[in-house]
Amino acid sequence: METQRQKIIKYCVPLILYAAVFIVLLSSCAWHSTPVTNPDDIVYAPLRFEPPKAQRVKLENGIILYMLEDHEIPLVNISAVIRMGSFYDPPRKEGLADITGTVMRTGGTKSMTGNRIDEELDFIAGKITVSVGTDSCTLSMSVLEKDMDKGLQIFSDILINPVFSEGKLETAKILETEAIERISDNPQKIAFREFRRLMYHGDLRGRLSSVESIGKIERDDLLNFYKRFFRPGNVMIALSGDIETADAVKKIKNSLGAWNIPGDPEKPPPPPVRVGASLNYIHKDTPQSVIIIGQSAPGKESSDYYAFEVLDFITGSGGFRSRIFAEVRNRLGLAYSAGSFYSPRTEYGVFGAYAMAKGSSTVDALSAMTKILDNMRDRGVESGEELAWAKESIINNFIFSFSEPSQIVMGQMMLEFNGLPDNFLTNYKDNIEMVKSSDLRYVAAHYLSGESRIVLVLGNKEKFSKPLSSFGDFHREISGTENQEN
Amino acid sequence: MIFGKSLRHTLLECFVITCLASFFLCITLGPCSAYDLKDKVKEFTLKNGLKVLIVERHASPTASLYISHETGAVDEGDCHTGTAHILEHMMFKGTETIGTKNFEEEKCILRKIHDVGNTLDTELMKGESADVQKTENLRRQLDTLQKEAGKWSIPSEIDRLYTEKGGGDLNAFTGQDLTSYHVSLPSNRIELWARIESDRMANPVFREFYSERDVVMQERKQTVESNPERKLIEQFLAAAFMVHPYRRPVLGWTPDMRFLNIDYTKDFFRTYYAPNNTIITIVGDVSPEGVMKIVKHYFGRIPSQKIPIKRVTEEPVQNGERRVKLVSDASPRLITGYHKPTLPSFDDCVFDIIDTILSGGRTSRLYNALVEKGIAVDVNTTNGFPGARYPNLFVIFAQPVSPHTCGELEEIIYAELDILKKEPVKPEELEKAKNQLKADILRNISTNSGLAGMLSYYEAVAGDWQYITKFPDLLERVTPEDIMAVAEKYLKPGNRTVAELVTKEN
Repeated sequence: METQRQKIIKYCVPLILYAAVFIVLLSSCAWHSTPVTNPDDIVYAPLRFEPPKAQRVKLENGIILYMLEDHEIPLVNISAVIRMGSFYDPPRKEGLADITGTVMRTGGTKSMTGNRIDEELDFIAGKITVSVGTDSCTLSMSVLEKDMDKGLQIFSDILINPVFSEGKLETAKILETEAIERISDNPQKIAFREFRRLMYHGDLRGRLSSVESIGKIERDDLLNFYKRFFRPGNVMIALSGDIETADAVKKIKNSLGAWNIPGDPEKPPPPPVRVGASLNYIHKDTPQSVIIIGQSAPGKESSDYYAFEVLDFITGSGGFRSRIFAEVRNRLGLAYSAGSFYSPRTEYGVFGAYAMAKGSSTVDALSAMTKILDNMRDRGVESGEELAWAKESIINNFIFSFSEPSQIVMGQMMLEFNGLPDNFLTNYKDNIEMVKSSDLRYVAAHYLSGESRIVLVLGNKEKFSKPLSSFGDFHREISGTENQEN
Repeated sequence: MIFGKSLRHTLLECFVITCLASFFLCITLGPCSAYDLKDKVKEFTLKNGLKVLIVERHASPTASLYISHETGAVDEGDCHTGTAHILEHMMFKGTETIGTKNFEEEKCILRKIHDVGNTLDTELMKGESADVQKTENLRRQLDTLQKEAGKWSIPSEIDRLYTEKGGGDLNAFTGQDLTSYHVSLPSNRIELWARIESDRMANPVFREFYSERDVVMQERKQTVESNPERKLIEQFLAAAFMVHPYRRPVLGWTPDMRFLNIDYTKDFFRTYYAPNNTIITIVGDVSPEGVMKIVKHYFGRIPSQKIPIKRVTEEPVQNGERRVKLVSDASPRLITGYHKPTLPSFDDCVFDIIDTILSGGRTSRLYNALVEKGIAVDVNTTNGFPGARYPNLFVIFAQPVSPHTCGELEEIIYAELDILKKEPVKPEELEKAKNQLKADILRNISTNSGLAGMLSYYEAVAGDWQYITKFPDLLERVTPEDIMAVAEKYLKPGNRTVAELVTKEN
């Protein structure tokens, strides 16, 4: 007969052993077992957000002001956007708009030299910067809230009373000349500049500044350029920061309200629709080639805009999953950077596919990209899943257009600046939601035609494993120095 | 340490990807006039050592989330440079439950890929005496296996999951001291972030390792070989540091990159990505209690690891100037740098002031001496290069306007540095520098991602995010005499390394 002790050993020990094993397994499962939730099955609380609406005020002199308060940090940001840009550069003086913007900022005013302005700003850690584009110039200021009055006084003085001193003009010309010379150090810069010239060939936007054109610029040119464009009717202002709205409006009126020069806003006409395809090569001995394939694209006012946004996302700007990235980088391993971009203005746009490809694989990468675009053109987007992924991503990401007050106020102001309806942003998500695969099919067929495609390859053709001529007839072979000329 | 104005410098300095470089260098110190960070940061530590810092901001329903591991290129062993960086790439390949159609099937093929890949590498390492037939066979096998593995994997699932749910700014960067993963999300998606991040911290699968190795080679070609500035920086650092790992590029040296090893990468991950070596920072429209519930549920189960004592060969004192010349068809460039201590040394803080005095804005000394006079097209300085865990460098970058030369730039720069040693900085100029440093902080922390990045950096590299709030007092202590003393001690020829890009004569 079993003793009590023997019974314990017979029944309990195994039990204890099993329990021990079970506990060990359980504890290892507790950290190593993968979380049960499928990430696609996570349920989210709904997101409801009404972006704040900026206050809009039109001053008597024609300046339009948009204002949004932001009391998180004691800073104030102002941006004045003026209708002027490189579109208006006079022939043979390309670069004038840019130089005018620079020297407006550095060249002093009727009451203060440029150096004094810099001293006063640097001491209060304020920043005033200028940037000039094709058809707009932005003068921006960032100051601590406590220095708002001082900053605004300097800012408005620069806008209204610049003197474009000869000394600062000379410095600007020297620096711009050097910057142009140094473009040839950077393969991507060379390629994108040349791409712009090709895309806008025949239009004023297709001109590039050069050492020669900068050399011809004189102080009178700046004064005339400034006089032509800088007037209240051509200016809009976005202001955000740690200041009450009424106070901000009052300060702007006090500093800019007396600026009285008549004249309406000036807007450039859109470029003509570009026709014709071409294959272009720029020689540069670089380990990686730059490939850009460009097409004209719809502007924001076009009914094709939303479908094209989705098309661009799927083609190459939607990250790892987008077609060009997935194929040219992930699957084929031919490039580190690859994708697409879509730059829509109001009336027109540019679309481009790009890759920085391994030198030897240049033609393979070009073929892969072309195949993707042709496939898009011929078949649109057949996968419902791909369409849903693109739309959902765009819609969900749109909240980031409203993540900072400075961004919100600028966004609302630029709608008016660009002649877009003021509900453009608030209706954006719904319009994306409504895009169907038939819409994609249409825009792809209409805009991705091979007959209007510009192809640019920058690299060393000696290193290509296949000749570029296997791709098509050359339009033009551009040398390293040639791209500096007009 | 490096301050806000160094945002301008990031493209010059960083070997790392995108804007994340800015937070790495953008260490602005000192609290802003009326923004008290101390009261806004909530701190939590899990049992496994994971540290979490949270700041609430409810202006928009978004949040910025950083996960930083206190590791980087500096922790790599010899012949394994580039491991920390390729690990960052591997972390986007998915896990046992994300990015696979069937992990049980897939893992058998991955094991074979591992074996064939290692055998191939071992053979290729023999160089010219490698068996050509053997390597060809192994390559073919590897190709076939990779194609087979591709049938079971779903590429870029992590990217798809984030992008679909509005994950903007999804990126990561690897530095010398720190590796960070960042995403901005609509604030109702925190659980998605926790689900993905905790899973890839516990069970990542290093799929597509060999093809990704090719991708990082391409990255090196694009960002270094094709970029004269980066190439020069690489040569500069290799000369400035004789033995310390800061001499090595984060991307890795090409010969090492050819043989990046999956087992070594996995060990690196296991050791250094442990929760007790990790900091999470979250800034945005969140509630700390709500977030911590999610964090505990998903990250709490990951076990801590024993982190080895971080040992590197200490850089010996430099006793003579070193010079490097790179000949290229690009335009001339100059880099000159001096060894210095890192934070929390007081001298490091003094260097922040020197940094601003020399190149902070149009009224700074070097800008006036060089750019205003049309001698240089650009001049920048940076404090704390290329990392901040160990003693580092104060560096000056400049590019001459043709026909001026780098030699002329050097003469003018060193004359300015001599002035710093001999003449006390005037009170207004010192006050200006302090004002600029404080305002740059405000600008950086005005965005969610700026603040989250800064908290992440200081907690990881300085060991205490509160360094930010304590720093202003340190800043106020800096006197003109301190500046002269620091300039005298460190900015001397024997402590200097110079790298020059010389244009090839046609």
